[in-house]
This record gives sequence, structure tokens and C-alpha cells, in this order.
Amino acid sequence: MKFMSWRIAAAAALMAAATICRCAPSQAGEALGAKVLEETCSRCHAALPSGGFERISEERKTPEGWELTISRMERFDHVTVSAAQEAAVVKWLADRQGLAPAEAAPFRYALERRPVVESPDDTDLAGMCASCHTYARIGLERRDKAEWLKLANMHLGQWPNIEYVATSRDREWWKLASTEIPAKLGAKWPLETKAWSEWKTHRHANLAGSWRVAGHRAGKGDYAGDLVIRPNGDDHYSITYKITYSDGTKSFGKGSAIVYTGYEWRGTVRLGKEKIHEVYALSADGNRLSGRWFRDGQDGIGADVVAVRGVDAIAGVEPRFIRSGQPSKLTIIGSGLKGTVQLGAGIVVDKVLSATPGAVTILATAAKDTPPGERAVAVGKAQSASALVVYDRVKAVEVEPGIAVARMGGNGGPIAPALCQFEAVAYTKTADGAPLRIGAMPAKWEVANFDETAAKDRDASFGGHIDRNGLFTPGLAGPNPKRGGYDNAANLSVKATMAEGGAAVEGAAHLYVAPQRWNDAPIR
Amino acid sequence: MKTKALVTGAALLALCATMFSPLCVQAKEYILTGMKPNRLVLIDPAKRAIARIYTIPGGGSPAGIVTSPDGKTAYVTTNHMGSLVGIDLDSGKEVFHADFSDGDFADVSDGALRVRSFYGLEISPDGKELFVSESPVRLLRDEYKVEDTRIAVYRTDGGMAAEPVRLLPLPRRTTNIMMSTDGTKLYANSWDLYTLDPKDGKVLKVDKILNWQRKNFAPPGLFNVWNQFEQAHVFVTPYYTARTDTGSGKPPVPRTGLLTLDLKTGDFHMNEFEDSSAIMFSSVLSPVHHNEVYSVFKTLTKNDLEKNKVIKRVALPHPYYCVNISGDGREVYAAGAGNDIGVYSADTLRRIGEIKMPGGADLAGAWIRMVERP
Repeated sequence: MKFMSWRIAAAAALMAAATICRCAPSQAGEALGAKVLEETCSRCHAALPSGGFERISEERKTPEGWELTISRMERFDHVTVSAAQEAAVVKWLADRQGLAPAEAAPFRYALERRPVVESPDDTDLAGMCASCHTYARIGLERRDKAEWLKLANMHLGQWPNIEYVATSRDREWWKLASTEIPAKLGAKWPLETKAWSEWKTHRHANLAGSWRVAGHRAGKGDYAGDLVIRPNGDDHYSITYKITYSDGTKSFGKGSAIVYTGYEWRGTVRLGKEKIHEVYALSADGNRLSGRWFRDGQDGIGADVVAVRGVDAIAGVEPRFIRSGQPSKLTIIGSGLKGTVQLGAGIVVDKVLSATPGAVTILATAAKDTPPGERAVAVGKAQSASALVVYDRVKAVEVEPGIAVARMGGNGGPIAPALCQFEAVAYTKTADGAPLRIGAMPAKWEVANFDETAAKDRDASFGGHIDRNGLFTPGLAGPNPKRGGYDNAANLSVKATMAEGGAAVEGAAHLYVAPQRWNDAPIR
Repeated sequence: MKTKALVTGAALLALCATMFSPLCVQAKEYILTGMKPNRLVLIDPAKRAIARIYTIPGGGSPAGIVTSPDGKTAYVTTNHMGSLVGIDLDSGKEVFHADFSDGDFADVSDGALRVRSFYGLEISPDGKELFVSESPVRLLRDEYKVEDTRIAVYRTDGGMAAEPVRLLPLPRRTTNIMMSTDGTKLYANSWDLYTLDPKDGKVLKVDKILNWQRKNFAPPGLFNVWNQFEQAHVFVTPYYTARTDTGSGKPPVPRTGLLTLDLKTGDFHMNEFEDSSAIMFSSVLSPVHHNEVYSVFKTLTKNDLEKNKVIKRVALPHPYYCVNISGDGREVYAAGAGNDIGVYSADTLRRIGEIKMPGGADLAGAWIRMVERP
């Protein structure tokens, strides 16, 4: 009952504000958010007789999307809001005019700041919008045609050079941006959708309690531990972590988190010596968080995370692969685990080494002739599909991310270098010859010139260096006297080598060392 | 090399000494360019020295530069592409000022027009009118309204709060605006080359560039923002295309060409001369050898227009954006991007001198113009 007050407060606030959403915001933040809209935003965005405000009510976005909007108003339109006001209005808007989980799902990689190469599903939109932004930035907004057109006007009005830049000037940019593109965007990503009309009535879960966490930090390995969530105002939480990496090192974490739109978890935590940002999505039942955290100011370094609570829930298996023909120790991390462990066809549990509700450690053997493939893991009633991979030998290595950008920095300048964390991912083949991802394994790292031009310019000598864990640190920013005054930009190949059965298996990624990112945004 | 430079310098000094007369003084050639923050630089190329630095009032840094026919006044787009400023090169005083926008937008005023000029700047041959390309946007209370691009025409005697005397329609994405030597035509370099009537902006002719369709060729791409044709009165610029008939599975082969527009006759030509092997930003035609073109970026390239080929190409110590040439066609001046003007022999392409900007000031995107002054 203790935590019911926020629902009552939310209901009252919602009635008072005559809004469309039955989500559950915090009382104080709720009042402040509404006040900012009424007193600050309404100076330009007139209040509508039907409720809401001109333009503002015609858009839906992620919390980061609203943050971008407020930031733009501050920078371009001389709006002054305090950090508390900004936080409150972002929360207010994201709760009422956010995206449904299904709408955000295809583009979560941008929120999570994953180093990916996008695959836009519309080349016209990609050619117009994604030549400057990620395609995700557009895909994470919802407007109707008329409002998309206003956004196009803002673009050319604010940045009149757009139609001159290299990726735009080959076309009648404004003609397209003011006709076909808004129509297409309005049809593809309209304001009102079934997904949103269903989700906006979804009640916010109370996340307070004890959770179990399984993570994988690129360059370091798997980890498991406990997450304790305590309420700190409605949709606001205090959090603590106790985690142990597979190499035995332990980390403690303390921080806070906010849940927007009923599922968008945004946490900031001091984990060990690092400050990290968490971008997780909450499952519809409120019992599973999943996503990525990344280091503050270094989003190339981060971890994939799953957290679960309740009973019969599996967060992950550590390690996530087992080599056939030899006994291996596996730990299943979860919450409320009890019962028999099952690892799928061809894998026998030799011995249960320890069993608690939060972790079951076993010794298991996959039979020598077991066909390679993914296996579901079960502990009693708890099940997790594709949680374990059986393989016979490493047949290929892929370096992830396959294409990456590191950025020069430092050297007395205001921008720190942007590092890249690579992982060597082992692959084998299924019985029918399809590539099967096993998982990240240790490898020997090397940086080489990508092509002849890079070799001629000695890019590998200037671009930066990679450490034994696959962490690439780019060269310093600015002109390099040793390079005739040119900077340390480089076109590199990042090579990983694993030993398998006495032979070397190699993989490579393509790495660009680029200039600093002078303008960054919550969604790039 | 050093000896030869000294000899050349001595020869130039001797030449000037023998010709030391009022006439010689009146006909002296200078380089005029701009540097950060918001300064004009007048350079004596013979002395390889800065003659004078002018501080332009207000913010930003110079972009486009034109000079009056008498070489007395320079007009500069500055203030973050928001103003046109005239500087008297004798007194150093500001003698002309036009702000393109309505107000400074400290407060959002309903319906105010905000205007930026993207590169296009020209002066009429009689020195009476200035032509500025403009990209306007109307700032409404809670939205922007992009308006049509245009040319604002100012009178050079418009004073310190000059207003346009007329507005001409202008195709979007225009970079260079150039005037025919007789002042009867304006040329606008956009996706295609538009010939406009300077009185009303009426389109008189369109020479296709990007819309030039040829079998087995990609549409030509061209981006040039530097007016630097005062010596030969021919606008020349690199452009890029690609041959697409390379066979299945093979990538197109990039090709580089030169576009020429004779500002006396209106003759317009485009011709590729090589499979692209160097990026060239901008070019200048020799006023003496009308077949010789010099282009810069990371290399200095000398082309023969008649033979349609590269005569020579040398590496530059750093990138330069723009280039101009002495009236006698002997020296080529590479400028922009860095903090020096590189002086090259038009004959051999050897670096025969340089003029460094004080404090390493950045020439950035400022044009380089040749001006004859008393």
C-alpha cells in the first residue's frame, strides 16, 4: 500500500490536466512539468481550447527526443529553464506523448548508443534525413504530415546551408523536403497509432524490490549480481548494484533511475570507479529490464544487460556457450529459480555444484556428436530460449562492431578522444552450414592499414593503438607535425586472432579514426 | 631555389624602381583576402608582405569579397553571412552596411525575416550596384516558414543602413553569382547555370550542369563558392562526374572536368580531362595564356584547356581552397583554409614565396581577389 499513493496522485493530476494518458507520473514533477508548459512553453505555443498546446501536442517522442526539443528551444529561442524544470517537462511530455514499446523497438540501438550500421527500410527517407542524422532519430518521432512539414521548415530555416552540403546538393532538397518527404513521414510515422492508443492506457509498474542481473561487458566479460531498487518518488528510483565479473572482480554501484512512458528506464550509476548511463526497456509485465549501459562520455564502452525479478525468471547463462565433448561449468542467473536444470538436446547435467534462487551452477557435458546450435535453458518452470550455444570448434572470427568510428581528441582541445571497444566473436557452423554465433572470446589484437592509401599515409602508425582487450584509443586531435601538419585521421583494419586446434582463426573490422564530434545529441 | 627567388624578387624591385612614376603607383596590384576574426588583409605580392589589415566592425569573418572598379572600396559578406559591409581601403572606415535580416532576434518577433547569404556576391562593372544571394526564413511565433531564395540588389551609395533597391528571384542552392563584363547579364551557378536579367531576375537561359544527361555518365556534380575571375574574365571551375559503362559489377570511374563561362561572351563549356586523381576545389584562368588553368586543394594543377589535359600537378604543403593569379600571368596565389598565401610560379608550379598571416590567423573560406590600387 505504501507505493499506491503515486497512482492516486497521478490520477488526480491527470484529471486536472485533462490529458489523454492514464500513465502514472510523480506528483511534484507532475505539477512542475505542467507549470513549465503553462508558463514557459505557452509563451510561443498557444494553449489549445481542447487542451494541450500548439505544435507540442502534435508530436510524440522518446525522453531523449523531448530533451532534444527543450535543448533546441534553449539554444535557438532564448528559453530559460532550470535543470529541474527541464527534467519535469521532459517527464511530463514523454509520459503523455511518448512512443509505444513496439514503436521504439526497431530503433533502440540509437537510444542505447550502440555502434551499428543502420539498415533503413526507405531509401528516400534515408537519403533525405539519414545523411545527417541516424535513421533512428526520425523513426523515434511521430507526427502527422503538416507537423513533419513544419519540422522541415525548421531545418532549412535554422540551418540554411543544408541544401548546399555534399549529401543534399545533388537534389532539389527543399522541393523534396517540403512535399514528398513530409507526406511519406506522415504516412509511415503518424501521430496516432494503434500501438500507442493501446500502450498509453498501460499502468506503470512499481519496480521497487530485488532483482537479479546478468550482463556482458565488451572487453571484460560476463557478470552477474544483484540490483536493489528502492522508490524515490513516483517513477523515480534509487538503485544499488553488487556484481561479480567472470574473472572474479567485484563492483558495487549506486545511482538513480527514472522510468518514462511506463517502460523507458534511464539510470545513472556510479559503478566501481565509472559513471555509467543505463538505457533499458521494461517488459510489459514489469518484471524484466533489458538494454545497454555505456560509460559517461565514452559510449563505445558498455555492456548488454538483463535484469529480472519474481519467480522462475532467467536473466542469462554464464558463459553462454559450451564446447561439445568436454565438461564445462555453467551458471544460470535468475530470480526465484528452483527445480531441475535442462539444457536441451545432447547436453547432460553431470553435477549441480550449487543452487540458490538467484543462481544455479552446474557441471555439464555436451556429447561429442551433438550438432552445434542454440539451446533453450530451463530451471524448473523458468525457461530461456536460445540462452546457450553448443559448438564443436571455432571456424570463424568476426570482430564486433564490424564497422566502427573512433574519434581523435584531447591534445589540449575541449573534446576527449572517443574510444572503440572491439570484441572477437567466435563463430561455428550448424549442420546445414549456416554461420552460428558462439560468443565473445579472448583474442590477440592488431591494428593494420586498411588499404594502399592508408599504407602510403602510414595510418596505422598515427591513427591510434589497441590494447590486449580490444580497446582502441585513437590518436590525439589537431595537426600532427610528424605528419606534415595533417591530423591523425586513419583508415584501419582491426584484426583479431584466436587459436583453434593449433591453427589461427582471424577476423577483422573496419575502423575509421575521424575528427572530433563537435555537436553531440541524445539521439544522433 | 632560394637563389632564384631572390633573383626574381630583385628583378621585380628593379622593375618597379625603373618605373617609379605616378603611373606606376596608380597601377599597383594587390591581393585582397579575409581572415579570422573579421579582418580584411591587403597584401603586396611583390614584397611578399602584408600592406594593411582592416578590422571589420561586428562579428563573424569575411566570406565573399568584391571591390569597386576604382579599387577604393571592398564589399564583404560577414557577420555570419548576415551582413554586407563596405570598407574604404584608404581610410579603413566602414562606408557601407546592410543587414540582411529584420532585427537581431533577441526576442522572437512575430513574422520577422531572418536572412543569410550563401556565397553569392557580385558588383556591377560600373560599381553602382551590389548583388547578394539570400536565403530567407520567416520566424513566426512557433514555427519557421522558409521563403524563396532571392538576390537583393543594393546601391553602393546606400550608406550605413542600406536597403535593397530591388529583389530578384533566384534558383535555390545558388552559389556563385557572376556578372557579364558589360553588366547586362547575371549568371547564377546552381544545379544548372542560369543566365538572369539583372533588372528583374528573369531567366534568360539555362545551361545544364547537373541536369546534363549523357549516356554512360553520372550527372555532373559541382560546388564552387569562390569568385576569382577578375583577371581573365572567365569563370572556370572543376566539376566531377563518372563513367558508368565500366562493365557489370565494376564501379563507375570518377572523371574530373573543367567548366568555363566567358563573362564577355557567355560561352559555356564543360569538358572532362582525366579519371579523377586529385580533388580540386577552385580554379583560375591565366589572363595571359588563355588556355592555362590553375586549380587548388591538396595539389596545384595546371591544365591546358585546348589540349584538354593536365600539364603539371604538384603537391601543396597543406590544402588551399581558392586561387588567383597576377595580372602578368606569372604568379599564382593559393589561399584559403590555412594561414598563409602560397606563391607559385605559373610556369613551373614551384613555390617561390609565401605570405604568412599574423598570429597564424585563419583565412578560412574568404575569397582571394586581385585589386589594382593607387
